[in-house]
Order: sequence, then structure tokens, then C-alpha cells
Amino acid sequence: MIRLENVTKRFSEKTAVDGLTLEVPEGEVCVLIGPSGCGKTTTLRMVNRLIEPTSGRILVNGRDVMSMRPEELRRGLGYVIQSIGLFPHLTVAENIGVVPRLLGWEKPRIADRARELLSLVGLEPDSYLRAYPRQLSGGEAQRVGVARALAADPPVLLMDEPFGAVDPLNRERLQAEFGRIQRELHKTVVFVTHDIDEAIRLADRVAIMRDGRLQQYDTPENVLNRPANKFVHDFVGADRALKRLVRIKVTEVMRPAPQAAIDDAPEAMRERAGAGRFVYLTDDEGRLAGWLDTDDIRDDAVADAITTVDRLQATVARDASLRDALSRMLGLGFRSIAVTDDEGRIMGEVTFAAIEAVMSEAEEHRGPTADGEGA
Amino acid sequence: MTDSTASPTRFDRVALTGALVTLVGAAVLPFVELRANRLVPGSGHSLAAAGPWAFVVWGVIALAFVSAVGPSAKARSAASTAGAYGLVAAIAWALGAAAEGLLADMSPVARVSVGGGAWVMLVGAAILGFAGAEERSRFVVRRAGPVVLLVVAVAGALVSGGLDRISLAREFAVRQEQFVSLILGHLAITGASLAAGAAIGVPLGLLAARNRRVRGVALAVTGVIETIPSLALLGLLVVPLAALGAAVPWLRDLGVRGIGPAPGFIALALYSLLPVVRNTYVGLTSVDAAAIDAGRGMGMSRRQLLFRVELPLAAPLVMEGLRVAAVLLTGIATLTVFAGARTLGILIFEGLGQFAPDLILLGALPTIALAVIADIGMSALARAVTPRGVRVAVQTPAPTFAEEAAA
Ligand SMILES: Nc1ncnc2c1ncn2[C@@H]1O[C@H](COP(=O)(O)OP(=O)(O)OP(=O)(O)O)[C@@H](O)[C@H]1O
Ligand SMILES: [Mg+2]
Repeated sequence: MIRLENVTKRFSEKTAVDGLTLEVPEGEVCVLIGPSGCGKTTTLRMVNRLIEPTSGRILVNGRDVMSMRPEELRRGLGYVIQSIGLFPHLTVAENIGVVPRLLGWEKPRIADRARELLSLVGLEPDSYLRAYPRQLSGGEAQRVGVARALAADPPVLLMDEPFGAVDPLNRERLQAEFGRIQRELHKTVVFVTHDIDEAIRLADRVAIMRDGRLQQYDTPENVLNRPANKFVHDFVGADRALKRLVRIKVTEVMRPAPQAAIDDAPEAMRERAGAGRFVYLTDDEGRLAGWLDTDDIRDDAVADAITTVDRLQATVARDASLRDALSRMLGLGFRSIAVTDDEGRIMGEVTFAAIEAVMSEAEEHRGPTADGEGA
Repeated sequence: MTDSTASPTRFDRVALTGALVTLVGAAVLPFVELRANRLVPGSGHSLAAAGPWAFVVWGVIALAFVSAVGPSAKARSAASTAGAYGLVAAIAWALGAAAEGLLADMSPVARVSVGGGAWVMLVGAAILGFAGAEERSRFVVRRAGPVVLLVVAVAGALVSGGLDRISLAREFAVRQEQFVSLILGHLAITGASLAAGAAIGVPLGLLAARNRRVRGVALAVTGVIETIPSLALLGLLVVPLAALGAAVPWLRDLGVRGIGPAPGFIALALYSLLPVVRNTYVGLTSVDAAAIDAGRGMGMSRRQLLFRVELPLAAPLVMEGLRVAAVLLTGIATLTVFAGARTLGILIFEGLGQFAPDLILLGALPTIALAVIADIGMSALARAVTPRGVRVAVQTPAPTFAEEAAA
């Protein structure tokens, strides 16, 4: 758990952080966001004492950081700096092993740990352990940076724009992986970003800052639905309804989908459709093979009404967000899309109507709060 | 410099230059000079004076031309290298043979010395050597190979007596013992002052990188020292050292005297400070700030940061400073003789005093050789201390993982 109590940092003239009070409960991800120069990095670096506060108190797991030796404090806090900062003269394995070495771990244990962490961040250990940082792409280096911060299994992670230097496509992949790792490890995380989409995707709570002051500290849903003031409202942007979809998993609005095996008898397929128009057709492992459009059946020629599809294109995974589903549906011109489990079997479907319902729900919240308090 | 590989014309311009220079040296200029005694001007004699050895030399020159137009870059490089060594050896033997022939019926005080043509041919051989080395010049050790062989060849020729009748060799024969002790003295004073310079300069560079005020003073003072002419600096040191030695007997027993190795040692150590301090400072301050920040953020102490991050990353530049200093000091060490040090400078300045060019060469050539050896040795050392992760990136474009996985 991390607690900031009325923390202020002044650099000669400039007040970088102004009376900030913030609590990050154990196992939660707090995303610090705000315009450039609003004090995010300063806040993060006060937690591990790379910067010392002018006034106020910072507690990590109940202990005042000013009462601890800086080196010891820092070895217990994983830190991912904005510019990655891998040591160019050390291999990937040695980079990951820096903190364990400082803590005096045995060599074999450090080596095992490096392998384990590379797998965790999605890099094949055998091809990367002995590589040097300059041989890595930006995305690979970012992953190694995250692995290095995790090396000694610190309960707290401080991450300063950890995916800042990655193209949008890889960034989304890294975010998804971060989500997966966090569900596995339950770290207490302070995560700095410029990117509101990233904040909404990853945060348990979002802290929006401006000129060193906290504007709102709340769940992404509340920040989207009930912005505390005009600044937050504008910062979040006009497409809040769309952003909200990022927070909702397809499984939350999924409904059961009529299915039949593709080698079933035509009558059986038709029967499965019931009152609906479509039946998903599956192969013998339960994965999508195509569908039957009952409206297309002419003169009982069922075979002509079957469309076969590329299963990966025409489905979304269970951990996809409604926004992923929506963009996939818009791209393909579908009114609904099948949701698959980890083995690729159809779990159900998400319809356009269901997504619309969620969006209009968000719109309802909008009027009174934002326009009322903002101006 | 990479015409040999890049040029579509398929000939090596560097090797061609070397061959042409050699040809001019052989055809136009006197190969040796015959003098009635050591001090009078002599008369020039062409390569023909070497008798049958002249044909060997011409043969090697022909090979040098072939090397310029060989079928592949690799073949050209091999031929230039062979040509360079061949020339040095053939010239050495031809010199011996020419001296033998010309001195056959002369008085014992008559001398044959190396003529302009022979020197020009040696320069041509050096150019050929560089042409051959180009292909592989990335590897300091291989670059060292030709130089070491050259030194061994010349030293071998001197010692074996093949060049006995050449004037330079006669100077050597007369002063063999002194020569060896002077080389050792030269090495000792250079090495000791370099070590002292490193012992003071590296920590000073470190302080300069840590503290602004130290930086201003250290860089300014070492810069000023560098601008003091060597003789003036020696002169400045002689007086206080003499006084100190006189006042403190045990220091005098240690060698602290106005005249002797002390002023030279101190002057050389001072001269080494600028390159060492500046390179250490630049090396440390150019360490990636993100790496330092990461190190601090991960809980390294200042000491750990210095030894595990900053120094390893600064090491190549620090070594580069030591290399520059080593080459510089090897040259300046010749001047320390004016304050009483015993280095190769003694031969040079005696030669100047006696108008004996061969004596000058006996001092100057080994000095140059020592400087070249220091240069190459320190480069090899610099390479050795360069961390692989940094070296990989600098030297060759690293294979991407896609490529490596495919291989
Ligand atoms: N060492 C320092 N000395 C003086 N001013 C500083 C120092 N560090 C930060 N500041 C100032 O404090 C303010 C907050 O800086 P900080 O780095 O925390 O911003 P940030 O929110 O991380 O910005 P960005 O998104 O651009 O990284 C800025 O106005 C900055 O200029
Ligand atoms: Mg920042």
C-alpha cells in the first residue's frame, strides 16, 4: 500500500507537486495522468526518494520512506524509468539480475529468475538471455525493462511511461500483457502515462493531475461518467462513451449463441436457430467454421445458405473489450460477433444492439455532471 | 580508405600508390651513399650497386604492381602485404650487399649510408602494408602483426650483421650496450610517468565529472600545462627540484635532484594529465543518463553505480586517453635528456651536435617504433576493456533477432 499525505515538492520557484494526497490500496493499479509538466514523474520519484518532498509524508506499506535508507527502499520497489535505461554493457540476463545481485542472491537462482521473467513478459529466454540491449527493438527493450523491475519480486512497482516508446500496435499488445501479468501477480502499481486510453484500459483508479494538483482520483468508469470538473471532462475527450467500452469485457454483455455442428443434418441446424436468423456452425472441436443464415434458405437448399469463414478473423477472444468487438464488427460489417474461449470454442455472441445499449447508458450520465459543474 | 573494396574499377589505389612510390625510389634516387669518412658528404650510388640483390628488389616491386590489380579484394590485400614484407627484407639485404661491394677496396673509415632512394622505397613499402591491412584493419592485433614483423626484421638485420657495413649499423655496433640501456631508460621513464599520470589523472577526471568547480580548475590547469613548451617546463622544474633535493637528503637519495630523471618524470606525468583527465571526464559524463538513473532507482549505492555502471561504460574513453598520452610521452621523453634523463634522446642530440645523421636516426627510428608499438598496444588494451555489449554495437551492425533465429 502506498499513501501520500499532503505532499508538496517545490523546485526553487516552481511548485511541481502541490498538496497531493493519494492512497493506492494493495494490489491495485493507480494510473497517474495529466498534461506534460503536471508533476507525474516528480510524484513517482518521490515514492522511491529519487526526489525528496519539500513537505508532507509518503508511506509505503505503512513505513515513512524518509525513515528508510534510500538504497534499501529502492531495492524493494520495482522501477521502470521512462527512457528504459537498460545497461548497455550487460546482457539481458545480467540486466534482469541487477537487483537480485544487489540483494546477494545465489547465481543459479538469479539465472533461473531471469528465464522465468523473460517467459513472463513474452520473450523466448533462449534467444534473449545473452543478447545485449542494443540488439533489441524498442518493444523488446521495454519488456526487458519491465522484467528487470519485477526481478526481486517487489510488492510495489513504479512505472514511468513504460510503453511510451512503442508503436500503437505493440503498445496495445504490451498493455494486454501487462493486464495479464497484473492479474497473475497482484502488484501495487503506480503507472504514469500520457495516454488516456492506456489509463482507462489498465487502471483500477485514475489520478488526473494538473499543475501539480490532483483533479480527480477515481475508477475509470467514474472518471468517464462523472468527471469532477471541466478540466477532467475536456481531458477525457468527447468520445467518452466509446472509451467506456474499453472497460467492459465482451463476456459481460455476451448472450448464448445458437450453435450447430457443421456436419449436422440441415434440419437439425435449422431447428437450432429457433426463432433467430443465424446459427453458428462449429467444427468437431467446437471452433467456429461458418454460419447458416436461415433467411437465405431457398427451396430447402440449406447448403447454399452456409457461409464458411476464417475463424480468427470473425471472432473475438473472451478477454477482449467491447471496443475491440465493436471495431471488429464495424470492419466486417457484422451485426453480431462470436466470443471464443482460450481453446477457440464458441462461448456466445455479442450483438450490436447490446453495445448500443451500453453506450446510451453512458450518455445518460453525461449531461448533469459535466456541464453542470464544469463551467 | 576502402577503395579496394568499394571501387568498381577493381584496382587498389592505395597499393598502386605504394608501388609507384617504390618504383620512383628505386629508379630515380640514390640507393646508398658512399662517404670517405663519417662526417664528409658522400656520393650517391644506384640500386645496381647491390649486384644480384638488385634483381630481387625489382622482382618484389613488380609483385607490388600486380597486387594493385589482383582479381579479388582478398587477393590484392594478401599480395600487398607480401609485397610490403618482401620489400623490407629485400631492401635490407640489398643494402648489405651494396655496402659490401662498394667498401671492398676502401679505407676502414669509409662509410656507406642509406640513401634517399632506399628510404623512399621503405615509405612505399609502408603504404603497401597499409593497403594490405585495410581489409582487416578492424582488428588491432592483426594491425600489430606487420609492425612487429617490421621491427623484428630490421632488428634481426642489424643484429645478424647483414647490414654491418651500413653506416647506421656501424653506429649501432659501436653503441650497442648504450643503445639497449637507453631504450630501457626511455621505456622506464615513459611507463613510470604514464602510470603516475593515470594514478592522478583518472581520479581527477572522476572528481571533475562529479563537481563543477573541480572540473573548471582541473580542465583549465591541465590545458595550460599542455601549452608550456617542453624545455621550458623542464627548466621550471630543475630549480625547485634542485633546492628540494639539497634541503631534504632522503629525497635526494631517492633521485630527487635538479638534474637526473626527476624533472623529466614529473614533466611527462604532467603532460599526460590533459588527455587522461579530459578523457576520463568526458567518458564519465557521456555515460547514458538513463542508465545512471536506472541504477540509482534500482538501489545501487554511489560506489556500486561507479564500479558497475559508470566506469565500465567510460573505460574505452579512459583507455583512449591513456593511449594518446603514451604516444605523446614516448616522443617528449627524448627531450628529457636536457634535464639529465637517459633516453633515446641522447643519441638524437649527440647526432645533431656532431652533424652525424646516422646517429640521429639511431635515436629517432626506435623512438618512432616505440610510439607506434605503444599506440597499437594501447589500442588493443582499449579494445579489451570495451564491454562487449557496447563493442558489438559499435563494430558491426548487430544481427536482429529475426535474422539470428533464422540462421
Ligand atoms: N529537477 C528539477 N528542477 C527544476 N524543476 C523541475 C525539476 N524536475 C521537474 N521540474 C519541473 O517540475 C514540473 C513537473 O515535472 P515532472 O517531470 O514531474 O512532469 P511530468 O508530469 O512528468 O511531465 P511529462 O509528462 O512531460 O513527463 C515541470 O514544470 C518541471 O519543469
Ligand atoms: Mg514525466
